[in-house]
Amino acid sequence: MAYVVTDNCVDCRFTQCVAVCPVQCFHADETMVYIDPDNCIDCAGCVEACPVGAIDDEFNLPDDQRYWIEKNRERAAILPRLTGTMDPLPGAEARKAALGL
Amino acid sequence: MIVSKENGKVISVRGNPDQPFTKGRLCVKVNNYQERVNSTDRILYPMRRTGPKGSGLFEQIGWNEALEEITTRWKEIAATSGPKAILPYSYLGTQGILNGLNVGDPFFNKLGATISERTFCDSGACTAYTMTIGHTAGVDPESFVHSRYIVLWASNTLTTNSHHWPFIDEARKRGAKIVVIDPYRTRTARLADLHVPIRPGTDGALALGIIHILFRDGLTDADYISQYSIGADELAERAAEYTPAMVADITGLSAELITELAHGIATSQPSVIRIGVAIERQSGGGQAVRAISCIPALVGSWRRPGGGLLQLPLWAFPVNWGAFIRPDFIGPEPRVLNQWKLGEALTDEMPLDPPIRSLMVYNANPMAMAPEQGRIAQGLAREDLFTVVSEHFLTDTARYADILLPATTQVEQEDIMFSWGHFYLSYNNRAIDPMGEAISNTELFRRLAKAMGFEDPCFSRTDEEQIAQAMLWDAPQMEGITVERLKREGFARLNLPSADEYAPHAQGNFATPSGKCEFKASMAAEGNFVLGLFRQGYDGQQSGEPIDPLPHYIAPQESRFTNPVLAARYPLNLITPKNHAFLSSSFGNLPHQRRHAGEQPVVMHPADAAKYGIAAGERVRVHNDRGTFEAIAQVTKDIRQGVVVAPAGHWASLNSGGATVHAVTSSRYADMGAAPTFSDTLVAVERC
Repeated sequence: MAYVVTDNCVDCRFTQCVAVCPVQCFHADETMVYIDPDNCIDCAGCVEACPVGAIDDEFNLPDDQRYWIEKNRERAAILPRLTGTMDPLPGAEARKAALGL
Repeated sequence: MIVSKENGKVISVRGNPDQPFTKGRLCVKVNNYQERVNSTDRILYPMRRTGPKGSGLFEQIGWNEALEEITTRWKEIAATSGPKAILPYSYLGTQGILNGLNVGDPFFNKLGATISERTFCDSGACTAYTMTIGHTAGVDPESFVHSRYIVLWASNTLTTNSHHWPFIDEARKRGAKIVVIDPYRTRTARLADLHVPIRPGTDGALALGIIHILFRDGLTDADYISQYSIGADELAERAAEYTPAMVADITGLSAELITELAHGIATSQPSVIRIGVAIERQSGGGQAVRAISCIPALVGSWRRPGGGLLQLPLWAFPVNWGAFIRPDFIGPEPRVLNQWKLGEALTDEMPLDPPIRSLMVYNANPMAMAPEQGRIAQGLAREDLFTVVSEHFLTDTARYADILLPATTQVEQEDIMFSWGHFYLSYNNRAIDPMGEAISNTELFRRLAKAMGFEDPCFSRTDEEQIAQAMLWDAPQMEGITVERLKREGFARLNLPSADEYAPHAQGNFATPSGKCEFKASMAAEGNFVLGLFRQGYDGQQSGEPIDPLPHYIAPQESRFTNPVLAARYPLNLITPKNHAFLSSSFGNLPHQRRHAGEQPVVMHPADAAKYGIAAGERVRVHNDRGTFEAIAQVTKDIRQGVVVAPAGHWASLNSGGATVHAVTSSRYADMGAAPTFSDTLVAVERC
C-alpha cells in the first residue's frame, strides 16, 4: 500500500518529490525515481509536488498501469535512497511540454 | 486542509503548503476526505428504527418528528426515573472547540443527566503529568530540530503524528539520535537509530531503571534539581531499588541497553522524550508517566529549546473552556459514569439506581472503541433502552439506534480548532452547505435545548457567537490573532517565543502546587482523580484511591509473570495500537482506507506461530474469557515473542465473525485517571 511513480517520470526525473517526502522513500536510477512501498506513509505530499503528475495512489491506477506497483518495489529495493533533489534530466522540460503540462 | 469544490460539491482536498507544520501534506486518513463527504453511505436524514435492534433497518422521518420523539421520551424518563437515567456518550469523532469534546456538555449538565467521564485518551497520562510538571504544553514540537537525543516512547509517530517526523528527521541530520521504545518494530521504529523492544506494561520499570542509573553514575543536573524540583532525595532512594539487573528481568531488555539509554538521555543535551497515548494503557500507566516526566528535570533537559518532554500541546491554547462546558449547570448531587463501563452500566453487571434508560451517542462509536464489546452489544440490544445516535454513517453503534440523526462532516460546518500536535490555532471555514438534512452538533444541541424548553441564552448562541467566545482573546498567547485573521489565513501560531527560543521551564515555572517539578507529588495526597475537562467540568466524586507520591512500578495484571494461571490458558500478551489508515474507528468503513488496512490482522512472532500451528495469512481466532474476534495472521520477527499485535478501529459489522479487538479487552482501569488497560490483556490465538 503506497504511492507509485509512473510513466511521466521517465526521462524527466524532476525530483521535487524528494524534497517533500518526510521519510526519504525515493530511490533513483538513470531515468526516473521509485517509491519504497514499505516506508511510504501515504501522505500524498509528492503527488502535488510532481510537475508532471507522475505519482498516484496505487489504488487509483488503471489496469494498464498497475505493473508500476511491483516495479517501484523491485527498483527501490536495489537502488540508492535519494537524500536530496537532483537536476532534472536533459530534455525534461521538453518532455513536460510534450505531455501538455 | 484546502478544499476544492465544483457546483457546491467537494471534489478534492489537499494540505496547505503555507502551513509551517504540515507543509502541504495531509495523511492517509484524510487524503480522500471528499469520499467521506460524498459517500452514498452517509446518513443524510433523521431515521427511526423499523427492524430489531442492531438490524440496521430504518425509515426516514422529519426533523420535527425526531426531536418530538426524543424530547418526549426524555421528559417522561426525567419525570419518572429522574434525569440521571439518561446518559450522554461522546468523545472526539468530530474535532473542534465548538463541535468536539464538550459540545453537548451545557445541555446534559442542564438536563441533570448522568455525567459522562471520558477517559479515552491521555486522561491517565494527564493526571500523572499534571502531578509532576503541571499542565504545560511542554516542548514545542518544532523545537525538536534542536534536540540531540530524541526518545519516542510508545509513539508510532509516522502513523499517528506524521507531520512531526520531518522535525525529528531534521534533528537527525544535525546529529541527533532517534530512539523508539515500543514492543513492536513499527514503521517508526524501523527508521529509528535504536529500537528498544520493551515487554508490554513494563515502561514504569524502565523509567525507574533509567533514573537509578542517572543517580548511580552521577549523571544528574544537581543545580537544576536544587533550584527547580522537590523530592529528589526520596526519588533517588526509591530508584535505588530498581537495579539494571532487576529492570532487565522485568522489561526483557538487556542491562547494557538500559544503561545506554540513561547515558544517552543525560549526556546528549538537549534530550527530549515524546510520549504517546499507549504509555497509559497498562495497569501501571500513570506511575510510568510519573517516572518518565521526572527524567527531563533530573538531567536538566528543560534548560534549552528542544529539551524536556512533549505530551499534549493542547495546554498551550487559552481556550475558554467554561463557556463550552458550563459546569455551573451541574446540580448538587450528580452521578458520574466512566465511559469504559458502558457494557456493565447497560446490563445487570452494574446495578444502578436509576438504571440507564436512554443513551445518546455523538462523536463516538463505543461498539468499536470501548472494551467488552460483547457486553456493550448486549446492553444496546435492550428493548427498554431508548438510544439516540448522531452520525455520518451506520456504525456498529448506530445500528442499534432507535432514532438516528444525520451529522455534518468537518467541511460542512464552521469551527475553531486547538491542536493536539503543534502550536497553531486553526480555523475550520465551512466549504459547502450541509448535505441532505445533516446538521452540525452545535445546531443539534440548539434544537434539542429548544425542544426541551431550556431558556438560558447559552443554548441559542449562534456558531459565530460561540467562535467569538472560544478563546481567551486577551491572553498574551493570542496577541495579534483575531477571528478575521484566522478566517482569512486559516491558521495562526500562538504568540509564544519561536521554536528556536521556546524553553518554558528553563527556570522552573512548573504549574504544580510548588511551582517546581514534583518528583514527590504533593497532589498525590488527594488521591486519584480525572481532570474536570474529561468529565463535563465536574470535579466532585473523584475516585480518590491512594496514590504513592513517589513513582513506582506496577506490574501488569495479565501477564505470565504475575498471573501464571491465566497465562496457562491465554499465553499471549495482546497490544492494540492505532491503525495506520484509520482515526480510531473513523474511516474504518471507507473503501480507500479499508483497502489500505486490509482485514483485521493479528501480528505474531514466527516462534509463536509455529507453536500454535499457524501459517502466515491464515484466519485465526483470538480469544479469552471476555470474548473472541477473528483476524488474519501476519507472521514477523518485528514483534517480540509472546506478544501479539492487533490494531483497533476495524468495524465489527465488516469483520468476519462480527467482532473486533475490543471483544477481548477489559474495562479495568489503569492506576491513574481512569485510563484503560488495553495493553494488559492475555489472549490465546488458534486456527479457525
